[in-house]
Amino acid sequence: MALSVDELKAAIIEKATKAPKPQLYIKDFYACDADSKPRVIKNVANDLVKEGKLMFWSSGSTTMYALPSRIKNEETRPQD
Amino acid sequence: MPKHDTPLMDELEKGPWPSFVTDLKRQAETKPECWDILGQMELSFKDRITHWKHGGIVGVFGYGGGIVGRYSDSPKQFPGVAHFHTVRLNQPSSKFYSSAKLRDICNLWEKYGSGMTNMHGSTGDLVLLGTRTENLEPLFYDLTHDLKQDLGGSGSNLRTPACCIGSARCEWSCYDTASICHHLTMHYQDEIHRPAFPYKFKFKFSGCPNDCVASIARSDFALIGTWKDDIRIDQDAVQGYIKGDYKPNGGARAKSKPFDIDEDVLALCPTACMRMKDNKLQIDNKNCTRCMFCLNMMPRALRPGVIKGASILCGAKAPILDGAQLATLIIPFVEVTADNEYENIIEVIESIWDWWMEAGKNRERLGETMQRLGLPTFLKVMDVTPIPQHIKIPRENPYVFWTDEEVPGGFERDIREFRKKHAQ
Repeated sequence: MALSVDELKAAIIEKATKAPKPQLYIKDFYACDADSKPRVIKNVANDLVKEGKLMFWSSGSTTMYALPSRIKNEETRPQD
Repeated sequence: MPKHDTPLMDELEKGPWPSFVTDLKRQAETKPECWDILGQMELSFKDRITHWKHGGIVGVFGYGGGIVGRYSDSPKQFPGVAHFHTVRLNQPSSKFYSSAKLRDICNLWEKYGSGMTNMHGSTGDLVLLGTRTENLEPLFYDLTHDLKQDLGGSGSNLRTPACCIGSARCEWSCYDTASICHHLTMHYQDEIHRPAFPYKFKFKFSGCPNDCVASIARSDFALIGTWKDDIRIDQDAVQGYIKGDYKPNGGARAKSKPFDIDEDVLALCPTACMRMKDNKLQIDNKNCTRCMFCLNMMPRALRPGVIKGASILCGAKAPILDGAQLATLIIPFVEVTADNEYENIIEVIESIWDWWMEAGKNRERLGETMQRLGLPTFLKVMDVTPIPQHIKIPRENPYVFWTDEEVPGGFERDIREFRKKHAQ
């Protein structure tokens, strides 16, 4: 049985917190609930961005999700 | 007065063609940050490496696309391009806009950005190049409230749908490209503005097989106009071309020698399905592949048939993995009509998305997923019965593979019973 929206949100945040990679693709969240459709997971992840709990990182061609505390911020990152 | 020495960039002003370096220098007179673009590019030419950092977190509230973050890796040396984000604006379908609208967009960009634009990006967007993070929200507010424009797509979103000029001005268009492009842009606002997929996904709509938006080469989902019945022939106009009354190819054909219908049209038909008999042009329409060559050469004499619609092709992409790929024909003919709000097209699109969102790997375009899992799998997912047009080349493999459900009784059998019967 698929998780409720709140349970799914918690699972996504847990995944974003514990994953070794700080930034994740949307497909990385599919494993949070095998019974939820990809479109549902996408909508929940995007809702978490609206709530400020996740952020988008984009190269321009692809988009990833991360916790605000783990995201790679080019504006604050030291010069290479 | 130039801020940086740019001898390598200056070389790019010496050819006979218009130079973006000259444009940048002109723009730098009012927007000094443009000197830093030239300076950074000069350094990149010397170092043979880009000095842009990769991506970023910029965007406007509620949107996950439309802004592409760009930061210089040498901000102290080039402070004018420390932030130099790109903004993509959703272009109107078929790119119909007034000069007043263009002026408004340019004025807005002079206010909030570098003033540099790229009209249009390869997705079709109006591309505004170079602004700082703190300018994004005020720019977006003015853009949406005063200019009634919206951002386009970027990242793993549905990209801004694009179409040719279509039946608005083109007599060859087999459906109203601008109408469906606008309808789907509005229908899929969430997918355009927020990431939804393993990677980018592009729609492109061409009204006829001339494919003026190159949808067959650039889009994951190409809708290319076609017709089902016979090419309409005006025999008097054919004679007009033969006599030289009309200019072939709309006047674009080289005039080195007079038009010769045998040499210039019949001999160049890829399927040799045309001939002149008793001074009349005949076309074996069953063998016509709708290449448009003869229609382009004699537009006054030949027109598409009257039963019009479109072909659906999927999976084109530029080279990242495995090289560039042209789209594959999936559905040879569909009706395209606003009467059903394009329901039949939307159904196909969503079947593709449902499959690709599960089966596609991260950063894998639809065409790559199709290639990895095979066209037979994709056709099955799409519930499309294979037809000869799906076959690229005759088979080389002598084995025929049957699935369980294709074999009466399936593959289940009693192996002991089988061995008893067939034992030596």
